[in-house]
Amino acid sequence: MSSEPTPLILGKQTDETLTASLLAFVWDKPADGWKKGMGILSLGLLSFAIAMALLLYNGVGMWGNNSPIGWGFDIINFVWWIGIGHAGTLISAVLLLLQQKWRTSINRAAEAMTLFAVVCALIYPTFHTGRPWFDWWMLPYPATLGIGPQFKSPLLWDVFAVSTYGTISVLFWYVGLIPDLAALRDHTKNKTVATIYGIFALGWRGSGKHWNHWKVGYLLLAGLSTPLVLSVHSVVSFDFAVSQLPGWHATIFPPYFVAGAVFSGFAMVVTLMVPARKFMKLEHVITIRHLENMCKVMLVTGLIVSYGYGMEHFMAWYSGSEDEFTLFFETRAFGPYSYLYWLMWFCNLGVPQTFWFKGLRTNLVWMWIASLLINVGMWLERFVIIVISLHRDWLPANWTMYYPTYVDVMMFVGTWGVFGTAFMLFLKVLPAVAVSEIKELNHEMNHHSHDGEHGHSIEGNVAPAGGH
Amino acid sequence: MSAAAAKTQYWVLGEFNDSDALLSGTTTLRQEKAGELDTYTAYPVPGIEEALGVARSKVTYVAFAGGLTGAVGAWALQLYFNYFNTWHGYAVNIANRPPHAPPVYVPVTFELMVLLSGLSIVGSLIVYFWGFPRPHHPVFESEAFVKTASTSGWWVSVTLDAHEKVEAVRSRLESLGAKNVSVVEDAEEA
Repeated sequence: MSSEPTPLILGKQTDETLTASLLAFVWDKPADGWKKGMGILSLGLLSFAIAMALLLYNGVGMWGNNSPIGWGFDIINFVWWIGIGHAGTLISAVLLLLQQKWRTSINRAAEAMTLFAVVCALIYPTFHTGRPWFDWWMLPYPATLGIGPQFKSPLLWDVFAVSTYGTISVLFWYVGLIPDLAALRDHTKNKTVATIYGIFALGWRGSGKHWNHWKVGYLLLAGLSTPLVLSVHSVVSFDFAVSQLPGWHATIFPPYFVAGAVFSGFAMVVTLMVPARKFMKLEHVITIRHLENMCKVMLVTGLIVSYGYGMEHFMAWYSGSEDEFTLFFETRAFGPYSYLYWLMWFCNLGVPQTFWFKGLRTNLVWMWIASLLINVGMWLERFVIIVISLHRDWLPANWTMYYPTYVDVMMFVGTWGVFGTAFMLFLKVLPAVAVSEIKELNHEMNHHSHDGEHGHSIEGNVAPAGGH
Repeated sequence: MSAAAAKTQYWVLGEFNDSDALLSGTTTLRQEKAGELDTYTAYPVPGIEEALGVARSKVTYVAFAGGLTGAVGAWALQLYFNYFNTWHGYAVNIANRPPHAPPVYVPVTFELMVLLSGLSIVGSLIVYFWGFPRPHHPVFESEAFVKTASTSGWWVSVTLDAHEKVEAVRSRLESLGAKNVSVVEDAEEA
């Protein structure tokens, strides 16, 4: 390596400076930009409330789903939101196990994003059941009906996968937060605020004996979350792969869905963190190197996703199945929705190729635009898989088109409101960067640069002794 | 609340200047058998377990037990609803697939294994290993402690049962370079 990589924490930082700079956004009065953002996103929340009222009053007939297109915006958006959620767990758990130190600056915000994305995702199947007040029938309980849930259905696996994922994500996030909640509790001068944070901190005092348990517990949770995150989107992909519809019945689905989830999740982290780091003055801990790494992950996962597309097409041809061939090479490529299909290729294969170039993957404006395009592309992928596969079944008399209704659109905009307002509130009341973990990293970096004879330096992470 | 039933403990607190001083100071105190030791830092310090002389956390075993319970329970649950439910209701028979079909049992088994393992890790950490919630702890009585312990301080505490030893430990902490040395008296009801 000829050039020294940028350190992960810029400037000469101490525990005191990091505490002050990372907690500042929580303590400062809400900035105008934050209030404006919150105002705009609240409109989304309003749209959500109206859409839900219409939906609950009138039933799922308010959606554009029809026969044969039984799955529309509801499942597209469910899969899309769940996919976005994957980046949080990937960053916090998988990169922790792989000892990727750069995860430390972004894991907290990415995990929060995961939680809110899972909430948005869960809204769709919950109400798609049509009678959500009977949703508890999906759980195994000793029913007087004398019948339990259908455990051999991927849709029921989804219930377990997504609820486990949501629960474990909350636990992982919370365990990581406890030390920071204690810091918030002790850092404020306001007694009420200290009490509120104190309740959630549970009485954390940073005891060495407690850290011992914390470290092992945190690592175990990471170890559990890693296969979990892979399982969740695999199970989601089973919803399709286990059925026998052309375009769905493919063994490539689980890995290709997982890669797509990570792809869209990282895109969402970039979409959120590029403006947030600037606005919240977090450039010293979320450096250009972090963002560049995320662009590299997007490039890799984008290529895996494109490989998945290629493999689907190959199998459609190689299997000799006429139905598969017609779907992939006629309906998708030249059918009534072909423009969405080609746009998907552009967004998911084309756009990430720009990240081969250092100039583009370190360009904040371009990576932000690219991250939006990738999220559009990943949404289109689900549209292509779901709607295009369904809209032309084996009986040409059934062929029809799918158009979302205004309730569909309002609900989709509404989940943006739910996600956005929740994320904005998170940024305001909790530190967006894991304070204790950043300090630990800073301590490690300083310690290693002070006494080099202590042996193993952390590859590429050692700050130049003088600082920048 | 009689005086005889109350067991008074004395917490001698001191703050070191950096992590190295904390590690060497704690190690010295442990070797001198000064009393029950604990350290307080804003983030985990490498080597603190050795300095305190504590073994690796046993939460691993809880995680394993929780995971095993989840997996076995999930398999039993599926088998019950697919097969044995004829005792109280109806076994689920869709398209006459085998009631005990191991491959399709895998996803739910895996998910419940992870779920129960995760819940038991966090549950046991909070309740058993940490003894939380405990918002009021003797160490919080020291104002200097609250000011820095969770953000930047390097604190150590020595817990003593006998009042006679307090002065000796206090001066030992000071001679080891600790500042803000203070004593908190904790009258616990037995």
